[in-house]
Amino acid sequence: MSRDNKATEETQGVTRRGFLKGASFAAAAVGTGSLLPPPQTASSQNEEEVLILGTEETKIALTINGENISTEASPSTTLLDLIRGPLDLTGSKRVCDRGSCGACTVLVDGKPICSCSYLALDAQGKNIQTVEGLMVGDKLSPLQNSFVSCDALQCGFCTPGMLMSCTALLEKNPNPNREEIAKGISGNLCRCGTYQNIFEAVHKAATGGGK
Amino acid sequence: MSKNADKVKITVGFEDHLKEISVKINDNDVLPYQPTDSFDEVGQDRDRLDAIAKVTGAARYTFDRKLDGMVYGRILRSPHPHAKVLSIDSTVAKKMPGVKAIIEFHEVFRTRAVRYVGEGVAAVAAETEAQAEAAIRALKVDYEVLPFAVTKEDAMAEGAPAVASPNSSNVIAPRAWGRSEKEQQAHLEDQKAETDEAFAEVKHVVSGNFSTQVQVHNALETHGVVCHWQGENLKIYASTQGTFSCRGQATSSRGPIKARNARVLSEYVGGGFGAKFGLRREGVAAAILAKKAKRPVHLMLNRREEQTDAGNRPDSYQELKLGLDSKGRIQVMRAHSWGTAGPGRSGAGARNSIIYNIPKIDKVEYNVRTNCGEARAMRAPGFPQGAFALESLLDMAADEVGIDPVELRKRNDSHPIRLAEYDMGAKMIGWRKNRNRNPGGGKGAIKRGLGCASNEWFAAGGRGAACLIRVNKNGHVEVRSGGQDIGTGLRTIMAQVAAEELGLGISDIETFIGDTNDPRCPGSGGSTTTPSLMPAVRIAAHRMAQELLTLVAEKLKWDIEKLTFKKGAVVRKDDKKLKKTVTFKQVCALIEGEVLEINEKRLANYGGFSSTNSGVQFADVEVDTQTGVVRVKRMVAVQDSGVILNTKTAESQVRGAIIQGVSYALFENRVMDRQKGHMLNADLENYKIAGALECPEIEVKLLNVFNGKNNTSSMGIGEPPIIATAGAIANAVANAIGVRVMSIPITPKKVLEALKNKGKRK
Repeated sequence: MSRDNKATEETQGVTRRGFLKGASFAAAAVGTGSLLPPPQTASSQNEEEVLILGTEETKIALTINGENISTEASPSTTLLDLIRGPLDLTGSKRVCDRGSCGACTVLVDGKPICSCSYLALDAQGKNIQTVEGLMVGDKLSPLQNSFVSCDALQCGFCTPGMLMSCTALLEKNPNPNREEIAKGISGNLCRCGTYQNIFEAVHKAATGGGK
Repeated sequence: MSKNADKVKITVGFEDHLKEISVKINDNDVLPYQPTDSFDEVGQDRDRLDAIAKVTGAARYTFDRKLDGMVYGRILRSPHPHAKVLSIDSTVAKKMPGVKAIIEFHEVFRTRAVRYVGEGVAAVAAETEAQAEAAIRALKVDYEVLPFAVTKEDAMAEGAPAVASPNSSNVIAPRAWGRSEKEQQAHLEDQKAETDEAFAEVKHVVSGNFSTQVQVHNALETHGVVCHWQGENLKIYASTQGTFSCRGQATSSRGPIKARNARVLSEYVGGGFGAKFGLRREGVAAAILAKKAKRPVHLMLNRREEQTDAGNRPDSYQELKLGLDSKGRIQVMRAHSWGTAGPGRSGAGARNSIIYNIPKIDKVEYNVRTNCGEARAMRAPGFPQGAFALESLLDMAADEVGIDPVELRKRNDSHPIRLAEYDMGAKMIGWRKNRNRNPGGGKGAIKRGLGCASNEWFAAGGRGAACLIRVNKNGHVEVRSGGQDIGTGLRTIMAQVAAEELGLGISDIETFIGDTNDPRCPGSGGSTTTPSLMPAVRIAAHRMAQELLTLVAEKLKWDIEKLTFKKGAVVRKDDKKLKKTVTFKQVCALIEGEVLEINEKRLANYGGFSSTNSGVQFADVEVDTQTGVVRVKRMVAVQDSGVILNTKTAESQVRGAIIQGVSYALFENRVMDRQKGHMLNADLENYKIAGALECPEIEVKLLNVFNGKNNTSSMGIGEPPIIATAGAIANAVANAIGVRVMSIPITPKKVLEALKNKGKRK
């Protein structure tokens, strides 16, 4: 991520002024493309100019896995792209990029959300937990432990998302039955077919076997 | 090891089906595992070694790679199902911010033809993904749009447009195996005449027309690479099932990349179900973009691209007919099938003639070209579609003959392993008790039914793999292979096999995979990675143990013949209490220099007990006759895969194959728009894959078969268990509702239609 981009607004989050400015700019650009200050162009010398919109970066401050992090990104950046990109937390995966597979699941204030369909700006002021934040000190969480011992993963690409959904489930329902676990991960797809092992792992963690 | 070529006697078989056979053991090889051997690591339940990296998010897949200065590649794809690229104007795209390189596919791949929607046309590398996406949209392509056909029916219709090229037919006749066209015609006619005679003579004839859909692999990590040139050498991080084939392609003098040397790295792969071999166009494009941009290029497909341009399982339409004698023994089969593998000429056969003993067969497979995404091998290519049809027809035959479907299978199957498996599986599912005696009858809208089907696969593996073991003076042990783990747990069984020979635990061993700088390993296809690589690991570890024991024997003047490693120390074989004398670490301290290295090759297969592995599956389903919804409640699988090296990961493979099989039987289906040639459900909400709510209770019994095919007696297990699942489910549905759905996926609509037509037929 580029650090030398000069952010004009020192405030964090979306200010009314900033929002209106952005909104009117976008509307004007769609409508006529010429009423407001010229957007960036690819190369002003050449005869054919190329219109580039929305690349300006803004400050974003987040609390991820208990750590306060401040960075800059375009306002359109998804939470997933921010944590995978500049923050380099690559456990969360982008698989469908439209909220239908759950591989990007992270917890926002304890609730599982698809970070591919959640703007990073909207996560400001909230507690975000990713798979990288599941360990307690240098120990695996009981759920991580039971995922290992129940072989609740094969290729492992859906695993971070599965773990986040299961963590949220156990928080809400400390002793779920098979049906409840299945519902809890019904938004997470696994192509290798590890669901039954995940049921076993969640059950084991819930009943104290994952420690 | 003895250079003596004399034969030795070994025991092969399983449970109470053991026998002795004479084998000439390869020079340098170790005797295959024997039923009398005791194991500390092999065959045990072991957690996979990379599980911790996977549950903490630490595992770095190709998609997660970031290199200094890395830019992102995107591919522009054809919106037309059939066209010719006349020209590409990149004037605007070149000027866009962040754009570092643009390539036109017709220059790299030497063809201007696009034969399906989504086939690549050009590619761009730019500083960010968004810039690359913006730039491909700014490319202006002039296409000559050509007529097309996206369904088999359209492609086979009279006057149909040529799918591939004007001088090639849309319907490809069966392979002639060296026969001339005339000879082939005569052969097919003879085959038909001969089977016609046989059909005329049999007591019972049953027939049916079956169809199966196109299934898309949909590995969660899409296809793609990160390419990084270092001078003339190319480093490729790849999400691949074959590291070495990627390397071969990158350095080939005939290919477009022409690297002096290439190193392919693939430590973690986010799933591979048959489609991830070779660099493919996206990999080649990334390598060339990286060269042009002088920057590392990250190019991974998105989900839509993965669904439309990264392979699929061909569909099929199968006309099947069986002739049986009065005792239900099959005398003759006719199986004519039509399938489409996209614009290509082969790969769409439906395989169904290998399990049962059928004296006369008239089998003809036609490949039909269509302007759809190209098929690639997918988990037991050809077999699930063939098995769905034949297993369905076998149940119809059992009804016709008036015997139990499992009994009918047993009368037509002579494989000793499967014959035992039918009984085991029937007992597990409660076949006698739970089978519906009055299909479709009884009270209530929900009907229950049971069904059975079987599988066979050829996962004995072969030569072409090697393993390097390095033991450090400080006792550190490395086991290395350049092969890849697509989710099967390869590194764990490598450690188990090596640990067994060295008397260590798997946590004492560090395994390295997915780097072509390490010894060769075949691609992970045909379920052969385990049986191809493990014998090499065992020879290398065995020889390493011998070398280390020699050091002790010489130092302490002991008889090496009496020494072995057990539980981290040297013990005397004749000492029942296995008193530890010298620890493994103490032995390693005797190594001259810093390390001892042994690199061993996999040797040829032996005759063994069986060259194929077999399995039987049973399904227990509930069908709601008001809504048409099928729920698979329970699946039972009895599966042979030779000696099971890790019961935990092997069982996971079977469970996973069954879930994918349930998904194939009930949900998955590529939907094409006939008018425009687009895939309509190239995403993961409309292309339905079985989720947790659709997962049945799965019970797996792994049969430990000492097959003697190689020194570990292991076989592969990824593919065989997916073959039987759809057939078993279809039979269970028929047993539940008393009428058969002849086409998968078995959707509620098809179930309701079948129920409606059931009344009419009577």
